[in-house]
Amino acid sequence: MKNILEVKNLNKKYDNFELKDVSFSLPEGMIMGFIGENGAGKTTTIKALLNIIKKDSGEIQLLGRDHLKEEKQIKEEIGVVLDDMFFPEILTARDINRIMKDVYKTWDSNLFNQYLEKFLLPSNKPIKTFSKGMRKKLEIITALAHHPKLLILDEPTSGLDPIARTEVLDLFQDFIQNETCSILLSSHMTTDLEHIADYITFINQGKILLSKTKDEILEQYGIVKCREEEFQKIDPKDYIRYKKNKYQYEILIENQQEFKKKYDIKTIDKMTLDDLMILMIKGEKSC
Amino acid sequence: MLGFIKKDFALMKNNFMLLVILLVFYIAMGISGEIDISIILPFISVLVMISTFSYDDFNHWNAYASCLPDGRKNCVKAKYVATILLIFLVTTITMVLSILLSSLHTKNIDYTYILYTMVGEIFGTILVLSIMYPIIYKFGIERARIIIFIMVFGIGILGGFLLNFIDVANILNLFSFLKNDWVITLILSSLLLLYISCQISLKIQQKKEF
Repeated sequence: MKNILEVKNLNKKYDNFELKDVSFSLPEGMIMGFIGENGAGKTTTIKALLNIIKKDSGEIQLLGRDHLKEEKQIKEEIGVVLDDMFFPEILTARDINRIMKDVYKTWDSNLFNQYLEKFLLPSNKPIKTFSKGMRKKLEIITALAHHPKLLILDEPTSGLDPIARTEVLDLFQDFIQNETCSILLSSHMTTDLEHIADYITFINQGKILLSKTKDEILEQYGIVKCREEEFQKIDPKDYIRYKKNKYQYEILIENQQEFKKKYDIKTIDKMTLDDLMILMIKGEKSC
Repeated sequence: MLGFIKKDFALMKNNFMLLVILLVFYIAMGISGEIDISIILPFISVLVMISTFSYDDFNHWNAYASCLPDGRKNCVKAKYVATILLIFLVTTITMVLSILLSSLHTKNIDYTYILYTMVGEIFGTILVLSIMYPIIYKFGIERARIIIFIMVFGIGILGGFLLNFIDVANILNLFSFLKNDWVITLILSSLLLLYISCQISLKIQQKKEF
């Protein structure tokens, strides 16, 4: 399968933070959830992909092309939502339509107006009168209305109520239906990602901890709950992280089948992305 | 680039009421003969253009513009084109008003005086904006305001000090070779200033991280 997005050894150093050899790839027709706690490097990575910040080193390919050498052409074919609000507040949705018509060659005013109606967004009122959720919706439909091949979205569902979130997630799933369009989506709403993502990439302190298919993670990974004497018998090579609670240990393992074969521990729970994040960040690893 | 120019003009609409009030005020002053209406040109142009930068900065527009096709370059170029268009628009309105108001006071309207005043003010306005824009792109509107204030204050003090030692008439004599060509010279100089300023702003914007 062709990759629509490929990042290799991306590095970017600040005084108090750095992206270290960030590498991951997103195949065509897929949605990748980009997760990590606040300050983990999600937004920095996205900004480097979009050349909003300059990378120190590394290779970034978007739509099979170098993201700097063919920047203009690439940006014609990608849609973007950034974490901060970015439309000047005194503009209206109608203004956005007028502006974008002359920014994107493939801007589709009809589609934009259909989305406005669908999401009940007024076209003639200043954006400053919109709620946070309405603003996010406007940003999302603006990202979609020029028929992009790749969406790069930083926290697109934050501020949306559950109904609006469902509508937006449906929109994302419709977007990838033709199997050539893809989405990179950073989000704290891991339950959303469990519904729509095909791949999960997890970043922590500027390093990629894992990048795998969601099914692989949710079906193979698991959480073993056991007492201390059972925990002591487990080879540290067989788990990723552990957390000691008041009455038991929670152990994150990578392969449930292998683990069951090796140890006589019956309680292996299915894991959520939240569990994964918490154990990977807060859990300990024996030397 | 057209989309970005449209954006800047859409941002100006919020100043529309303020401009109408200013215009009415200046016309009233102009009718009474207490003020020359042409001074409205630099005032309006600087005020309106700076307000577009404020909206851009406040709403993180430049970061988003960097994600659009050729957005980094076009948002800068558009700002300069919008400046020229706005100055042209305000100059036209001001000239018409100047002529109309002059006709209230005298039958012999001094068209040459009006033209010279307008050209001088266009040059002055463009000179100020050409210096301000790269500073705004480099430091952002909030910090730029302080820097520009310090600059204006510093130039005022330095200028006042230097005037004690310099004979202005002698300096003006240096340009006497321009004779009657100084109108066209000032207009071309204004355009050159804007071009140089635009190139500097583009360089700053290309390197900037948001």
